Amino acid sequence: MIDGLSIAVEDIRFTYPGGVEAIQGVTLSVSPGEAVAIVGENGAGKTTLVRQFNGLLKPTSGRVLVGEWDTREHSVATLARRVGYAFQNPDEQLFERTVRAEVAFGPKNLGFSSEDILASVHEALERVGLADAADQHPYDLPLSQRRLLALAATLAMQTPIVILDEPTTGQDAPSVARIGGIVDSLRQEGRTVITITHDLDFCAEHFPRVMVMASGRVLVDGPAREVLAQSDTLAEAEVDPPQLVRLARSLKLTNMPLTPEEFVTAWQRSRGE
Amino acid sequence: MTIPFSLYAGRESGLHPVHPLTRLTIAGFVLIAALLIPWTLGTYALFAGLLLPLAAWRRVAGLLLRAVFRFVFPFALSLFLIQGLFWTGGTPVVSLGPLSLKAEGLAFAAAMSGRILLIVSSFLLLAMTTRPDALMLALVQKGLPDQIAYIVLTTMQIVPRFQAKANTILDAQRSRGLETEGSLLRRIRGLLPLAIPLVLGSIVDIEERAIALEARAFSRQGEKTSLVDLPDSTFQRAFRWMLLGLTVALTVARLVSVLR
Repeated sequence: MIDGLSIAVEDIRFTYPGGVEAIQGVTLSVSPGEAVAIVGENGAGKTTLVRQFNGLLKPTSGRVLVGEWDTREHSVATLARRVGYAFQNPDEQLFERTVRAEVAFGPKNLGFSSEDILASVHEALERVGLADAADQHPYDLPLSQRRLLALAATLAMQTPIVILDEPTTGQDAPSVARIGGIVDSLRQEGRTVITITHDLDFCAEHFPRVMVMASGRVLVDGPAREVLAQSDTLAEAEVDPPQLVRLARSLKLTNMPLTPEEFVTAWQRSRGE
Repeated sequence: MTIPFSLYAGRESGLHPVHPLTRLTIAGFVLIAALLIPWTLGTYALFAGLLLPLAAWRRVAGLLLRAVFRFVFPFALSLFLIQGLFWTGGTPVVSLGPLSLKAEGLAFAAAMSGRILLIVSSFLLLAMTTRPDALMLALVQKGLPDQIAYIVLTTMQIVPRFQAKANTILDAQRSRGLETEGSLLRRIRGLLPLAIPLVLGSIVDIEERAIALEARAFSRQGEKTSLVDLPDSTFQRAFRWMLLGLTVALTVARLVSVLR
């Protein structure tokens, strides 16, 4: 059991060396065990924001606290104990000869004992469904499985906070369902999960809290049901509401269903069944 | 627009565009002249009388002077000091205790600095005023194989992409707890996780580039249509021939004077 950690972002601004101010004053806090999805169009500042959480970028002004750690006072490698960050493109990190060794890389860096490494590698591979591929070469797997492998490599680090950058991109339905299941199980364990996603359906089903970003600012931040119903704000951020929300709206349902089950209930109720 | 890994300044002079080959010929002439002109003053005169006015005409004079200063000044300074101080048996000009600057050493340093100044500034002027793709196109139209032009141009484009990729990989591995600072051993250990994805990724990139090029008929034989028109003129052609002739004459004159 791993307890989640909080993240506190205090009025940060961030300017890239080229002069682009990608974060223009953001304040927010994420409680231990919360699951937050950040949505918004490309260039809204989502990636720049989450990269502040594990110290890959340090705020130009303001500060970011992970637990009680100020990110400016710790290296990325140190912050990796607390924040696991699964990158979008697996091919920009996979380098070992076997799937098993690849997943063990993070835990080894964090100084896990050999028993702990074995256990966490096994658990992570089971979670993403790659236990049978443990002895294969990472590049012998298809891209969708390499993505899951990169996710396993992050999960094996047993961090209290897990960041998933576009986890469902290029995945088929079973894999999206599997990743959703992983998010749910991380939440049940009490770990903090943050994702950047363009997949609003995935977001609606697995993330109770949604944050909408545009032009380096947070437009709205709150419970998924409320945020995903604000079509004006979503339109401002160039984001389409989830399919179920749009369907429910065209059918003039009063409830805002986020999962297929909720939709069915709302539909039946509206027909007086 | 900016072109990666290139010094092109992208300023239009408003005057008739000069054909890239003409600029290349000027740069080539100045380069040869820099090596062959026997008089020290000649090199500085060529810089002030030809390159600077050309740069001013293309509105990059300030840019050129700054760049030239950055590249040439450190060289020149060390040349003057070392040649001036350690010239054996010359006439002292300035003395300070046991050290003295010798006239012959300073003259030699001035001659060498002039040559370096010309070589560097002719190249810089060409690079600042000429889009690499326009230059390559001009050369292809004169018979340079497409493949060579492609290799030169992609190399210039690949470098920044390669850097960006390397940075992303570094970020990903640091996020997995890879310590990249500290002892030498630690840094060496950190090299493989960076190098392997970079090399593998580049090989995949090359394959995809090759497929994309084939899909766009890159290896088709015969003449290709270009979207870019490079205006040329009889005057420019004559000017290029004249410069070529001058270069040959200079070379012959120098050879004769050396052999005599």
